[in-house]
Amino acid sequence: MATTTLEPRAETYRSSWVIDWLTTVDHKKIGVLYIVNSFLFFFAAGILALVIRSELAVPGLQFLDERTYNQAFTMHGTIMIFLFIVPVLSGFANYVVPLQLGAPDMAFPRINALSFWLLPLGGLLIFSGYLFGGAAAEGWTGYAPLSGGTYAAGVGTDLWLIGLTLVGTASILGAVNIIATVFKMRAPGMTLMRMPIFCWTVLVTAVLILLATPVLTAGLIALFIDRNYGGSFFDPTTGGQPILWQHIFWFFGHPEVYIVILPAMGVVSEILPVFSRKPLFGYRAFVFATIAIGLLSFSVWAHHMFTTGVVFLPFFAFMTALIAVPTGVKMFNWMATLWRGSISLTTPMLFALGFVTMFLIGGITGVMLSAPAVDFHLQDTYFVVGHLHYVFFGGSVFGVFAATYFWFPKITGRRLNERLGKVHFWIHFIGFNLAFFPMHPLGITGMPRRVSDYSPDAGWTLWNMASTAGAFMIAISVLPFLINVIATFINGERVGDDPWEANTLEWATSSPPPPYNFDKLPPIRSERPVFDLRHKHDVEHLSAEERP
Amino acid sequence: MRPSAAPSRLQTRLLAVAALLLTTLVAGCGMLPPDPKTEAAKAVWDLYLIVFIMGAIVFVGVEGFIVYAILRYRRRDDHLPDQLHGNNLVEMIWTAIPTVIVLVLFVLSSIALGAVEARSDNPSVTIEVDGFQWQWEFRYLDGDADPGNDVLVTGSPADPPVMALPINEPVRLVLRSRDVIHAFYVPNFLIKRDVMPISGEQPPNEMELNVTEVGTYGGQCAEFCGDLHARMTFSVEAMTRADYDAWLAAAPRGGSPPPPSVAPGATVLDLTADMIEFDTHQLTAPADEAFTMRFMNEEDVIHNVAIFRGEERIFTGDGVTGPDATIDYVIPPLPPGEYTFQCDYHPVPDMTGTLTVE
Repeated sequence: MATTTLEPRAETYRSSWVIDWLTTVDHKKIGVLYIVNSFLFFFAAGILALVIRSELAVPGLQFLDERTYNQAFTMHGTIMIFLFIVPVLSGFANYVVPLQLGAPDMAFPRINALSFWLLPLGGLLIFSGYLFGGAAAEGWTGYAPLSGGTYAAGVGTDLWLIGLTLVGTASILGAVNIIATVFKMRAPGMTLMRMPIFCWTVLVTAVLILLATPVLTAGLIALFIDRNYGGSFFDPTTGGQPILWQHIFWFFGHPEVYIVILPAMGVVSEILPVFSRKPLFGYRAFVFATIAIGLLSFSVWAHHMFTTGVVFLPFFAFMTALIAVPTGVKMFNWMATLWRGSISLTTPMLFALGFVTMFLIGGITGVMLSAPAVDFHLQDTYFVVGHLHYVFFGGSVFGVFAATYFWFPKITGRRLNERLGKVHFWIHFIGFNLAFFPMHPLGITGMPRRVSDYSPDAGWTLWNMASTAGAFMIAISVLPFLINVIATFINGERVGDDPWEANTLEWATSSPPPPYNFDKLPPIRSERPVFDLRHKHDVEHLSAEERP
Repeated sequence: MRPSAAPSRLQTRLLAVAALLLTTLVAGCGMLPPDPKTEAAKAVWDLYLIVFIMGAIVFVGVEGFIVYAILRYRRRDDHLPDQLHGNNLVEMIWTAIPTVIVLVLFVLSSIALGAVEARSDNPSVTIEVDGFQWQWEFRYLDGDADPGNDVLVTGSPADPPVMALPINEPVRLVLRSRDVIHAFYVPNFLIKRDVMPISGEQPPNEMELNVTEVGTYGGQCAEFCGDLHARMTFSVEAMTRADYDAWLAAAPRGGSPPPPSVAPGATVLDLTADMIEFDTHQLTAPADEAFTMRFMNEEDVIHNVAIFRGEERIFTGDGVTGPDATIDYVIPPLPPGEYTFQCDYHPVPDMTGTLTVE
């Protein structure tokens, strides 16, 4: 009798790598697809930022007419938020979370692939307005009735609505997948309170997405009905309520801020301990602070609407200021993690410290804006633009680059060149501050946001020129990054499975990890299983519960 | 180590610190709002200063700590530092610190908000502010029911409207939009308020100004409202009561547009504006003779027609606000050629056309 022996992981058929990547349901490949796709949209929206800053460098209209300018800032905001920051963090979550949990894959691999592939489709639909008479031009917030059929007759706004609906659906599916993975796929020993902090932040983010994004999607569909099928949700001339759109949008939009900042906080909370060679100070407090931020984020949406005259100011002002408490706790815990550590300033560490120092500014300006009387002056000025860029860019994007430098050796087995990385960081850091700090004085002296032009007599020219110079500096900083990624990918230094002496499970498997991630798992007795493995013989450094 | 090395390093550090302080100072200077020119604005300015100083203290404290920690605790060897996992007492302390700051801030901000939201029972002047794409109209209510008697101030992008106000008196603004959302914003008053399109019985937004100093203060729309958002500017001219009374007496009264005056027998061209768009973008007129352009405005947004040869302005028609308002423009004789016409209030492609004179 003939017997057949199957090799472990025998390939039943071979296909080209293109087909392989297009049809993959492996969470790691999907994660990489997310990240690469997001960076492509990042570069596109970055070019739009350069267009905007070029137009604003000096008074007068030099390059664009008003309509084109309005399309540029609308597309810039929409693409950056919905097709770069959210999905790039989803990409890292996709790649890293199953590895950190000791799981072979996400809970629903096919849904995972679907939720990725909706993204490029949605993004291209949003951009395709440019081919059909002009892209949407109502700002990323799409306020009604400006975004209604009367004032935005072009098909660009319809494409924007359809594209965002797809992107929102992708987010919701991804969130379901993350939640199921965290609750059902953890390895034995991986209790909730031993989960890496990045998994915690991603879990809370997924819950926020699941509760907030369907509200936005409903609003998008309602606006689409208004525009195309004679609905009157938001049109005041037919009895609709323009303010309803703002409530719907910001009920989603404010949790959205935490959707993009929490995973970046998680990244930073993984990196600071590794390069301080200490555990994260106050792990439990950090988990509770993350949950508190998530809860509070649903009670503050109307602080975007203080000047509308129709919201109850004291409640929303108080809840908004209250978010500073759990955020402050995190800040103190990060500081305490550095305290008496053994700090190495590697590139991921530099970007993580960049996050902490820059996000602090965004947090402080946020508390300033929470006072309604101050907000009456600063709302819809460049101060708010500065504030949101210190949160989104100084916060989330620094976190994204920290994550890229930190996990690149895990994804490829090769470490990005440290010297080029530091060049990237410093040009990026200085350019960022040059671009976005001047927006605060501009706003304080009264420059409204979303203007294509300003008066030469207003005294805004110098700050605007500085900001434009900073924007180009950020663009230049991308060059060493790109060169680094390409050169390292082709011929980088191979650094083994755990080059950073890190703490969490993803570093316990090979780099890059095999399909289904682990051949064997180390015992999981704390939130730092790989640290415990490395130091199992010098137990004097371990707390009682960590000792093997 | 050479003896000179230490002082030179010290010098470098001092220089770096000095440069840092200088940058902070310069940046800090830009961080103060414009001089407050109303009673309420003074309260906002004071609150802003307190909040800014609190923020600056937190900033310097945290950043200082981080920089110190990075310099002090750099990795020097393979020795593993103490594995400190946390401390419940300090967690409680640093939960309390931001809580106290937030509570203090909330109380201060509520007090300032009271000053901003204060309303007098009897404002001495009430002005209806109408926002529309992309201009403002100010109607001074005189108390009687006939809007034809009210002073009506209009403007155009080239010549923005001016709101005259008496100083040291409460002035009530009633804000309404005819189309999309706008916001009335004067930086020197440190306040803005959205100008909403109203449906049904909703009360319009109101704000009250008590300007303290004679002067001209620029303002503009602060809520993005479409193509020409950036050109939706106006100014407030605050004057003494005597000057204000003189201005009010001399100001034009609002009402119906000037009566049509058609030259008998002349050519009449029809042009209609609706939804910020002309119904036609091609018109033809006879050369070397006067003709009439009968311009109909179907919507309650101001429009006009201006005619250009290249960049040169040849004719400017008066603005007219609908619905169903008609005005006849008598255009002087033009030599043959291609001209363009457009609405001065809305110089967008939809409100631009070609006039062929042959």
